[in-house]
Amino acid sequence: MSSDPNFTGPRTEGLVTEAKEALRRRKPGRIERVGDHLKREWQLYLLLIPTILWLLVFLYKPMYGLQIAFKDYSVFRGLAASPWVGFEHFQTLFGNDQFLRALRNTIYISMLSLIFGFPMPIILAVMFNEILHQTFKKTAQTIVYLPHFISSVIIAGIVITAFSPSAGIVNTVMGWFGLEPIYFLTKSEWFRPIFVGTSIWQEAGFQSIVYLAAIAGISPTLYESAVVDGASRWQMVWKITVPSILPTIIIMLIIRIGNMLEVSFEMIILLYQPATYETADVVNTFIYRQGIQGGQYDLAGAAGLFNAVVAFVLVMTANTISKRYSRTSLW
Amino acid sequence: MRTFKLSLAILGTTALTAPVFADDQLPIVDKPLELTIHMHWPRAQGYGPGGDTNTLYPVEVVARERTNIHLVDETSGRNTTDNNEAMNLLLAKGDLPDIVGGNLIRQPVNQYGPEGAFLPLNELVDEHAPNIKKFWEEHPGLKEAISAYDGNYYYIPYLPDGKYGRAWFIRQDWLDALGLQQPQNVDELYDVMVAFRDQDPNGNGEKDEVPYFARDWEEVNRLLTLWDARSSGSDIYHDFYVTDDGQIAHPYAQDAYREGIANIAKWYEEGLIDAEIFTRGSSSRDFLLGENLGGVTHDWFASTSGYNAALADKIEGFNFIPFLPPASVGGVRMEEHRRIPIKPDGWAISYTNEHPVETIKYFDFWFSEEGALLANFGVEGKTWDMVDGEPIYKPEVLNSATPVNSQMYLEGAQVYRGYPQDYRYEWQWTSPAAREGIELYDTEDLLVDQFLGVAFNKDEQAVYDKYWPSIRTYMLERNQAWILGSGDVNADWDAYISTLEKLGYQKVLDVMNSAYARQYG
Repeated sequence: MSSDPNFTGPRTEGLVTEAKEALRRRKPGRIERVGDHLKREWQLYLLLIPTILWLLVFLYKPMYGLQIAFKDYSVFRGLAASPWVGFEHFQTLFGNDQFLRALRNTIYISMLSLIFGFPMPIILAVMFNEILHQTFKKTAQTIVYLPHFISSVIIAGIVITAFSPSAGIVNTVMGWFGLEPIYFLTKSEWFRPIFVGTSIWQEAGFQSIVYLAAIAGISPTLYESAVVDGASRWQMVWKITVPSILPTIIIMLIIRIGNMLEVSFEMIILLYQPATYETADVVNTFIYRQGIQGGQYDLAGAAGLFNAVVAFVLVMTANTISKRYSRTSLW
Repeated sequence: MRTFKLSLAILGTTALTAPVFADDQLPIVDKPLELTIHMHWPRAQGYGPGGDTNTLYPVEVVARERTNIHLVDETSGRNTTDNNEAMNLLLAKGDLPDIVGGNLIRQPVNQYGPEGAFLPLNELVDEHAPNIKKFWEEHPGLKEAISAYDGNYYYIPYLPDGKYGRAWFIRQDWLDALGLQQPQNVDELYDVMVAFRDQDPNGNGEKDEVPYFARDWEEVNRLLTLWDARSSGSDIYHDFYVTDDGQIAHPYAQDAYREGIANIAKWYEEGLIDAEIFTRGSSSRDFLLGENLGGVTHDWFASTSGYNAALADKIEGFNFIPFLPPASVGGVRMEEHRRIPIKPDGWAISYTNEHPVETIKYFDFWFSEEGALLANFGVEGKTWDMVDGEPIYKPEVLNSATPVNSQMYLEGAQVYRGYPQDYRYEWQWTSPAAREGIELYDTEDLLVDQFLGVAFNKDEQAVYDKYWPSIRTYMLERNQAWILGSGDVNADWDAYISTLEKLGYQKVLDVMNSAYARQYG
């Protein structure tokens, strides 16, 4: 039983005590340990500094301005000198049917984008991965990335033209089948499909890059052994590719849920009309019309703060659920 | 020369502004005095040609020589073209330049003037600015219109001259081709538009004509005047108007509006109004005229007449001319749109200015005969000469490929400083077609009084801000829905009115009327 760790011969007993004592003495304090760590890894921390500064200047310092939501703000008097009004702006918001409608629309459009828009880049990435012909793969990728780099104003112009009742391609094609032309952009029931479709077309390609990177990180040995075991390509996609990128998918989903209320409102402003406000008006466009155009920065601030609180709750919930069921989480 | 006589008649008002400023009052100061200026307006973000503040306007060079006041640029927000944003940036900075000028300064100046950001000008003008004072006396009501809620006024406005803005235009060559006369009333207009739609006036064998079109969709509401309703009380769309009994009301809450919208919806459904009027946007006039498709519109005299020259080679016989507003159902010919006598643009003196008296004297210089000529036409001898007592542009200015106004903006003339505009400036380069149109419009009394806006006090402003944006949104939603046929105005009307009430329409009217009574009463 010489391997028994408790076995100590008379000679070794002294040595062990001595070694234990030395170890105890040399065990560094917390500060000392952090110091050692910094000395060893200082380059990494140096790289972190710009990001921390960015966070402080652009995300933490503006938080001081959040008090605008509780003040009767005058641009000339400045933030500090403007009087407090408590929750008045929030009461105004929630007493306004149009704000509540905008809130409903925001959630509705976000859910649609999530359900139809989120799986798209994943499907694209998996499909790209299955393309064997390199030239075709590169061309296809470039084509789907392209819309991301076109300005929203131009995209909106393309959409308006494409859906125009007299000259648009959509109505022209419908005409071939004997359908009456529809003036899509003034029909509130058509706004959401057009908007969600446009954003998928615009962003799905570019968003697939993250998943392609994750797929590239999968060890080829997994596929090789699967081939040896006689797995079909379909089985490899389902049993290897998708499970391997699942953590990425979940992280992206949590981030996406956090940004859910940030509907790309510049696109909505470019596409909506009073005739489609019913389904198109979201919180951010409401803020834009009421707050920025109307010069009510305090009210706009209150709506923005409310937006942020909802987003925070959404992220926390998504993260907690994910942590519990999939052990993947942001923190 | 009928045109020439007319130009003199139109100018009657300006010519009255005789020189009060004796030359011995210039220069204003013996030693050169530098004043900083914020000048943010659509054509230039900064006080210099095209926003280039390292170069002096030729006009500024002359003004410096004459007054010894040197304006030095200190414009905020030069990287944005949004005037509101630039103004807010400036105010938030707190450190204001001596003079704050540019586009849309009325609202901020009237809001923050009483808080102490800008100097009230009433006494300064009375004591030191004889030319401005004289202008106020000759144009009663304007001083009241620019006042803030405390009764003081805080800026010297840019004061446009001339009467007409937009006019009704029709393809005369189409009328001729179909053997029709210019429509004189709403029923005849309807018949003409039906003929345009059905009888192929462009002769291409396709039924592709668009009888009524507009580059701003809001102009579809201008048709409301044909049913004795109103679309706006000022040169801003959807604005309040003053009723016959001197009360403020909104045109979209009147019974006549219901009647008008029902008819516009009918015209839209029948294809008399451009089906894509809501999305075609600002290029629709270019497109529909250039493609020989558009028949009738309501747009600016000068720029719309310009298409006759531009399209002369492309479309044979193209003749798009102004016609008198068709008489309404009630027999009234009304041209609702006109140039407003005061603009929300101009300049103000900020609280940091240590030379308010010199500054107001300098403002006054631009209202003297010499200053007004400089502000309107540029430097004498360079861009214009005095011929028989009339400022006449040099031929190279009139015949240049660059429009005269664009040339003036670079000279430093027609800049949004506070000055009285002189219509002689525009008349000289107005096309013959537009001149004829203006003469035609002058034969009848077509214009209506404008609502020049009110200055709210703090409580009134709060009520307005709280209720008005939502009401406006709702009104426009219903407006478009009814025209597009996704709702029936007659069926919806009672619910519409009660929703307006619920949204606070009466509260907005109350503050409007109390402010109006205080200001103009």
